[in-house]
Amino acid sequence: MNASVQEAKAQAEVEPGAPLLQADGVSIQFGGLKALTNFNLSVRQGDLQGLIGPNGAGKSTAFNVLTGVYQPTRGEVRVAGQRVNQWLPHQINHLGLARTFQNIRLFRALSALDNVKVACRAQGALHPEGVGLGAKVKGAFFNYCDWWRALLLTPRFQQEERELTQQAERLLEVMGLSHRRDEEARNLPYGEQRRLEIARALGTQPKVLLLDEPAAGMNTREKADLMVLIRKLRDDFKLGVLVIEHDMKLVMGICEHITVLDHGETIARGAPAQVRSDRKVIEAYLGDSYLESHGGAA
Amino acid sequence: METPAIPAPEARSVVPPSLRGVLPLVVALPVLALFQWVLSDAPFATYLLSVVGVNIILAVSLNIVNGMTGQFSIGHAGFMAVGAYISGVMSLSLKDIALSFLPVAASDQVLFVLALLVGGVAAALCGFLVGLPSLRLRGDYLAIVTLGFGEIIRVVVQNTDAFGRALGLSGIPQSSTPAMVYFWVFLTVLVARRITGSSHGRSLWAIREDEVAAEAMGVDTTGYKVRSFVISSFFAGIAGGLFAHFVPIINPGSFTFVKSMEIVVMVVLGGLGSTTGAIVAATFLTLLPEGLRSLFAVLGAEGSLAQKVDQIRMPVYGLLLVVLMLARPQGLFGTKELWDVLPRWIPRKRRGLA
Repeated sequence: MNASVQEAKAQAEVEPGAPLLQADGVSIQFGGLKALTNFNLSVRQGDLQGLIGPNGAGKSTAFNVLTGVYQPTRGEVRVAGQRVNQWLPHQINHLGLARTFQNIRLFRALSALDNVKVACRAQGALHPEGVGLGAKVKGAFFNYCDWWRALLLTPRFQQEERELTQQAERLLEVMGLSHRRDEEARNLPYGEQRRLEIARALGTQPKVLLLDEPAAGMNTREKADLMVLIRKLRDDFKLGVLVIEHDMKLVMGICEHITVLDHGETIARGAPAQVRSDRKVIEAYLGDSYLESHGGAA
Repeated sequence: METPAIPAPEARSVVPPSLRGVLPLVVALPVLALFQWVLSDAPFATYLLSVVGVNIILAVSLNIVNGMTGQFSIGHAGFMAVGAYISGVMSLSLKDIALSFLPVAASDQVLFVLALLVGGVAAALCGFLVGLPSLRLRGDYLAIVTLGFGEIIRVVVQNTDAFGRALGLSGIPQSSTPAMVYFWVFLTVLVARRITGSSHGRSLWAIREDEVAAEAMGVDTTGYKVRSFVISSFFAGIAGGLFAHFVPIINPGSFTFVKSMEIVVMVVLGGLGSTTGAIVAATFLTLLPEGLRSLFAVLGAEGSLAQKVDQIRMPVYGLLLVVLMLARPQGLFGTKELWDVLPRWIPRKRRGLA
């Protein structure tokens, strides 16, 4: 618990092939409502996993537990080998976990470039902030120096600022948003806002990328492009990717491993073909009356 | 998909990077000296401009919290009071001391600056203590806590002998000069601008836009909120210190909730997030009563009306706000700055933030 974020990062780098994101028996309860029960998950580098389930199944709750928005009632979440129960979302993000949101949450009044720069910066300015008191004092001191550099406009600060801009511009280019560089995020068309959110998440230099319904509201053509893009990102940035998605074609098309949730419980997991023919999954999606009328697994 | 090549702002600048940090200071100092010389013989203008300057500092510093970070603080007068009383008491106790190696006037100014800084740091400390618990939470808690803080400070001052109770402190050396006030105005504006143009500023804007997303993107939202609040409190303390050194007497009545609201009105009127707006609105709202007074005097309305300006001031502010909310809810400038609204033929500074 006393290890700083940087130490944890270093640890993660010496163990290649280890799970980057791991949930062990995670349960979360809001009052009497069991939003998630005994949830297990393990994402390695190069994985492309899907998390599906009917509305209200607990998919977004799972994302929120993994990213530190909610604290698990039971079980533990590990990011890069580090137990992150009780950590704040920004600390978990610094370990290498980035996400997008189901309902787009861009910094609407900021330009596309600045949206990405915010994320790039948060990672670039990684101070030894941890949980222990020593790390906190050190972090505060680093921060203090950092503010003075900005206020005095030192050459080092200017250099950092230029590098940030370049880094952000590269990410915009990757996501095909270069032409929107100085446009306010709220003025971008819907599909581009979705892409900008991914660019912003990539700005934090994640190891694992969580995409919350990236294809929501997209047309068939855009969805096809998105599938290609997600695969490309995984390979180019050496990521593990976890996707929540309603669009079965997309999930079955790109995911190599799928976890199905219903009422907070994991009802199936495995390869797409296996999941698709699972009786419980069909029941959850189409109701048992469908099963009765069609006589078992379709 | 290719972007047209936009030259980076640095590429166009003729100033070497190592000098860009201090350049504004080099420009400002002679201007301030000139300013001081022009005003040397006009006590009323000096007083009025000093009040304007103090209000600009207050508005611009509050704008860092209320505008850029999107939090809602309504106890700025409390921090101003802390700065005013701490530096006032310090100046009073150092009244008879002079630094022997300096001429008397210079020694006074050095001690004055010292008192200002102590007042500012005290206010910043209060800001830290108030901000740390309340900024962890989202929403309106900060407003409630700052409101309470402002009142607590006022009550504490009213009941402490060292601060002169309700009578206030008098006899504080009148060391303030227009040059000193506007030097701090300059510093406040410079700091506000530099924050906006830096990654720290972007993080603050990100918090204003969407706190959950900012946190998820690795921004330490609580840390940034507290830091912006501390910086803002520091400058409020400085403003209070300056104020204490040019008015004949400071008493708890100068730092009431009404004063806090006045500053909030300035920020909202100017546009939440616009430093230019805060400056313009602070100047306008400070000079407005004087303007009304002269107007009534010229109109020859009964003398009583001109004297009642101070009482009709708040209703006028209220009316202004209502009109503004109907006509231009984002404030005079919105989040824009001076160079965004200048006509196109004037060479523009490229925007840091859209």
